[in-house]
Amino acid sequence: MKKIVLGTLSLTLLLAACGNNEEDTELDPADGTVEDEDAEEVQESEGPRILTDGLGNEVEIPEDPEAVLASYLEDYLTALDITPVAQWSINDGEGVQTYLQDDLADVQTIPYDLPYESVMSVEPDLILIRDQIEQDMVDQYNLIAPTYVLNASPTSWRETMSEIGRVLDREDEAASVIETYDARAEETASLVQETAQGESAAAIWMIDTSLFVVHPERSSGSVLYGDAGFEIPEVVDQLSDDADWAAVSLEELADMDVDHLFLISDGDSELMEDRLWQNIPAVENDNVYTFDSQSAWLYYGPIANEQVLDHIDSSLQQ
Amino acid sequence: MDRSNQPSPYKDKAFKRSAWLFLFLICLLGVLVMVSLASGYLALTPADIWRTVTGEGTAAHELLLYQFRLPRIVLAVLVGTGMATAGAIFQGVTQNGLADPGIIGIHSGSGFFAVLYLYLLTLNQDQPPVWVNTGLPFAAFIGGISAAVLIYVLAWKEGVTPIRLVLVGIGVNAGFSAALLLVQLRMSESDFNRALIWLSGSIWNASWAAVLRLLPWILIFIPSALYKARVLSVMQLGEEMAVGLGTAIEKERIKLLTIGVALSAASVSAAGGIAFVGLIAPHLARRLVGGKFQRLIPVCAVIGAILIVLSDTLARTILAPTEIPVGLIVSVIGAPYFIYLLITIKE
Repeated sequence: MKKIVLGTLSLTLLLAACGNNEEDTELDPADGTVEDEDAEEVQESEGPRILTDGLGNEVEIPEDPEAVLASYLEDYLTALDITPVAQWSINDGEGVQTYLQDDLADVQTIPYDLPYESVMSVEPDLILIRDQIEQDMVDQYNLIAPTYVLNASPTSWRETMSEIGRVLDREDEAASVIETYDARAEETASLVQETAQGESAAAIWMIDTSLFVVHPERSSGSVLYGDAGFEIPEVVDQLSDDADWAAVSLEELADMDVDHLFLISDGDSELMEDRLWQNIPAVENDNVYTFDSQSAWLYYGPIANEQVLDHIDSSLQQ
Repeated sequence: MDRSNQPSPYKDKAFKRSAWLFLFLICLLGVLVMVSLASGYLALTPADIWRTVTGEGTAAHELLLYQFRLPRIVLAVLVGTGMATAGAIFQGVTQNGLADPGIIGIHSGSGFFAVLYLYLLTLNQDQPPVWVNTGLPFAAFIGGISAAVLIYVLAWKEGVTPIRLVLVGIGVNAGFSAALLLVQLRMSESDFNRALIWLSGSIWNASWAAVLRLLPWILIFIPSALYKARVLSVMQLGEEMAVGLGTAIEKERIKLLTIGVALSAASVSAAGGIAFVGLIAPHLARRLVGGKFQRLIPVCAVIGAILIVLSDTLARTILAPTEIPVGLIVSVIGAPYFIYLLITIKE
């Protein structure tokens, strides 16, 4: 009996001891993967850049990172002409951000939850993380490559764009991406002025018989109202809670009296037979524009937003 | 423990047999650990592992083995040990073969308090305090104790029958799960998903830091459980007999339940709610070495470790690189076993 106790104890202690030793000894080679030697030569002029990230960690950013992993931030990287080392995906690589595939077709996929071994396999030299994650996980990712958690809120694409520009030392390019976008948005804004002044619009995401309306300041909502200048229906303003897309009933949608309906849907729904649906001004006047759920409307970033502007233009010019 | 009246353990045939069995299971666990080390999304040949262990491997292989795979396996061993032992204690104290802390709501009680704790600490705060993760097992412990007390009070009706305990437990489980969902719905989308993965039982983001947080709990409470094994055995003789043998039964019961809740809560705080380990491991152990807890607990603990290490190896290889929560794998094995026990249990 006592032997068994001792046996269990010493085994556990042994495992614990192994753990400690290895932690101490293996940290160094891990840090070595940053390739200090190469970096030093180039950095003689400036020295390494150290930035404070969203978790309060000081992150040493490598000079000219070649393999950047920035899952679900690919839009911003593409806008800066950087090809990420891997791209966000779900369902074992089946689901990707379709609207970006013109630029990302050749980029390998990585599961959305970034398992450590998948991250190791793509050998990044800088990891950008969009959402606040646990410090434990950042510590683990840091063993693979410097890991920077964004300060910017994922719901503000301009902030995100600027911060990514700052981290990647491309502040000017990031600023010009935003400028170019704003200039492009002006065109749509004046088109809306000409053809639909004072008229309201809403983006509705329809999944079977469930309806969701976009937050007026987020995702394609910020484009529709902030950039293109459509009026915000009263109901949308009241609904806005903390979700990008808020659930909305058919009755509430009918209450909006909305003039233009941008419908994100992959097929017709029985809702569309309902009298309430038929009486929506946008439906009566044939101002419903349908886009599939793979299109840019559900995403964030300068490229997604520009595509949304294109969609608005072509819809109004029909 | 006073052993002077007992025959020398080395002459005890049953003891010898279970000692050998224990050794065999340890070896089996060792083999599984090796297999687990070698399997994963990134390929590693046995030669690679050998080179790495002898210190001649590449930095990448060392990183993979020592920082990503090994802590995960060690955590699996600790969690399996903790949950299985907790199960054996619960089954022993309640004299109820169905009392798995994962099924009767101890895990969801722990989970509820742990998630609530995280939610309240991160609320209105950009950065949670540094001790947030160290406090997690304690929050889980308080939740587990609350659940245990609640179950016992609700199930009490001039004693607690096995079926009554399980039914009340399943009710309490549902209650805590619902409360948990309420808290989760108030979380942001990313926190919600994180909580969901954690609660379905997952150790994919294991690190040495997580191992070190769990280790003290296991190191304190597994030996305590072994120390109390004799009392558990005496309890099996029935309450009157146990009192007759000089056991302060209510006091001992509370002590044992505290040990059980501590083990299960600490494990839950590290790996989320993995059900059925606390059910299967003690049952298999009882089949192998009989109902004497001095023999049963060590064997049960190793079986628990084997179960989790095996399930976790499957969890990260079946659909690699996508990870399946380890709790789901255990449930796929455990649920049919539970139903089988429900059908065959004697009233």
